[in-house]
Amino acid sequence: MHRSKLGAYLFSFPSFFLTVALGLYPIVWALRYMFFDYQGYGTPRFIGLDNFARVGRDAEFWHSVGNTFVYAGGKLIITLPLSLILAVILNRKLRGRHVFRAIFFLPTIFSASVMSIVFYIVFNSYNGVINQYLLKLGIVSAPVDWLGAGMAMLTTIIIAVWGAVGNYMLLFLAGLQSIPEDIYEAASLDGVNPAQRLWYITIPMLGPVLQMIVMLAITVSLKGYESIMVLTEGGPFGKTEVMYLYLYKLFFPLTTTGTSVQNIGYGSAVGFTTAVIVGLITWMYFWMSKKLNSIY
Amino acid sequence: MKKRMLARSSFLICCLLVTALTLAACSTNKGSDPKPEESAGATPKTKIAYWTADRHDMDYMQKKVDEYNATNTDNIEVEMKVMADNYNQAVEVAFASNQAPDVLKIYDFQTYVNKGYLTQLDGLLSADLMAKFDGLLVDNVYKLNGKVYTLPNTGQFWRLLYNVDLMEKAGYSEPPKTLDEMVDAAKKITEQGKAEGIYGFASNFKSGSGFTRPAFASGTLDSETGHEGYNFQTGEFDFGMYRDISEALRQIKVDGSLLPGAESLDIDPLRAQFAQGKIGMYVNHSGEPAVYSSQFPTDINWSTAPVPTKDGVIDGVSWVNATGYVGISDKSENKEAAAKFVEYLYSEDLRVDYQEKGLGLSVLPFVNEKAGKPELKGIEGFLPTQYDGIYPATPLSITETKLEGKKAADLFNEYILTGNQDIEAVISDLNSRYGKALAAARSEGLTDIKADPSFSAKKLQGTLGK
Repeated sequence: MHRSKLGAYLFSFPSFFLTVALGLYPIVWALRYMFFDYQGYGTPRFIGLDNFARVGRDAEFWHSVGNTFVYAGGKLIITLPLSLILAVILNRKLRGRHVFRAIFFLPTIFSASVMSIVFYIVFNSYNGVINQYLLKLGIVSAPVDWLGAGMAMLTTIIIAVWGAVGNYMLLFLAGLQSIPEDIYEAASLDGVNPAQRLWYITIPMLGPVLQMIVMLAITVSLKGYESIMVLTEGGPFGKTEVMYLYLYKLFFPLTTTGTSVQNIGYGSAVGFTTAVIVGLITWMYFWMSKKLNSIY
Repeated sequence: MKKRMLARSSFLICCLLVTALTLAACSTNKGSDPKPEESAGATPKTKIAYWTADRHDMDYMQKKVDEYNATNTDNIEVEMKVMADNYNQAVEVAFASNQAPDVLKIYDFQTYVNKGYLTQLDGLLSADLMAKFDGLLVDNVYKLNGKVYTLPNTGQFWRLLYNVDLMEKAGYSEPPKTLDEMVDAAKKITEQGKAEGIYGFASNFKSGSGFTRPAFASGTLDSETGHEGYNFQTGEFDFGMYRDISEALRQIKVDGSLLPGAESLDIDPLRAQFAQGKIGMYVNHSGEPAVYSSQFPTDINWSTAPVPTKDGVIDGVSWVNATGYVGISDKSENKEAAAKFVEYLYSEDLRVDYQEKGLGLSVLPFVNEKAGKPELKGIEGFLPTQYDGIYPATPLSITETKLEGKKAADLFNEYILTGNQDIEAVISDLNSRYGKALAAARSEGLTDIKADPSFSAKKLQGTLGK
């Protein structure tokens, strides 16, 4: 073997080892139990495809899949345009743009769980800050139940957008800075207005970067559950139960001091199904964006 | 030459990394040193690791552990660790990675025993100590398959907490005894105080415990046959035992007497509102006096009463959540030293002092007979009465691993807060689904809890207090 190749193999070995030990092994471990009835103790009992049949019948799970689409869709529809607009504005030579970038990026570095506790205090209906302002300003006549059945999903989406905008803004900024300035100069000589600049130059020129950002945003949104777990625990009555939270509860029942009987066999089957769902959506996005690339 | 050097050093780094990871993964280090500590000239000490998640008594218990370390003549040194949330997961990881503590607080008895975490205590602890628990060791709570793995200590006693001033302002000289009276009182308190943001009743409906706190307390007092939806006599689930309390809570919601936002309410925000005098009544356990003395100090005039039942008649006992206290790890290499520490934890002086400090209410007759009145304000209302008792274990948790569809607490919560289903339909659906799940759990040998036609909750009356 050529020495340079040996060096490459040796350098890649640690990450390969860690990927196998911490990435592939847990997946294979979980895949094995998909076909077993196993509560985390005793002898696992082989039950073939029974767990998958149960997934098919499990209305709670499919309800959580529906909720996931609403949550992820809502988050993406607001986050992506908003972060692109912010990136375009803060890419210009404005005074204090670095300060604004830092402010918008700050939520990304805060713990989602800690911020959810803060938002719980801000949004609660009996003495939350939001309701106090709304009542004082006369916008509402009675406290809004932000975390109640009717509004909880919208509230979790607002919080998710707050946490994500800064991150995607930064990614868009990196993409925008790779667009040559002379294209914009030529466009301005042709009398192009800001909206046309964005639509006909910026977005097409972002091309592959945009494609990657959207894919990243889709997978992250579909897998998000941490803030929901703290804020509503999936409630009220399952209105904010997303599929990864449902899955989490099967492996780790939400309790500190109560019973912690796990549902490892069924949880593995649900885990596999959710991975297939996320994988399929990502693949569909790639397929569609490739088609669009070939058209344009 | 340079390339060869690079390849060699890369290889060396990789080898070191892999060796380090392998050693770390295969490490057999425990929560404590497994072997007696050898040091020149000093008598070897046996180190014991003790894990708990109890924070309300941690200063007191640390002091007692320090005293034990300073005074015991067996050369035992105990290191107490108070774990944060997700204790059960921490225990699981510790056992999986061979770093389990020698003595651990029990929060999920059946799972710990089934997973082989705990060692048998009978034979390890002295016969004198074991004799003090005669008649108290309930199957599936402290014993499994005839073997004792943990022992009782303190329990959570459930009561209706109420704001005396709000109750009097609404025209009541005494707390409600029946569910109808509770609904009426909640309505009148709300009518009197709504303008100031005062509501008659609250429960933390963010989770299923918003239902189970009032329902289990009222249900066990009302029913002679069951707890946690399980009928001990028939060995089947029958959620009809929660029909009355569910209808009462639904009526409170319909009347507008429930604190707004209750469907996303956690227990701590509820307590904060009660401490501010905004809530008339709620149901909770004997941990509350400590909460209102330190976590949410309050000047409001609050008191407690037995949780109301349908017609004020008590056919059973109010369930006491008296899970096992501590267990000894089956993997401990210092089981005898651990047993000596457990005996110290159960020493009469310690337990009596603990009770008198108001840190917890004992379910042990030998403690209650000796202990004076606890110092903590409000704790007197939670002291054991003849209507408190420890129920046998039910198969609820294991059944729910086989359950398809919504859990009972979630469905009752939904009924109470929305009324979008008829209560009879809710009960019938739950009985049917829990019945199937229990049959599956039984057929797979996951539970051996069977029908006990002779069971009567009335027989539990007087077992903990007079």
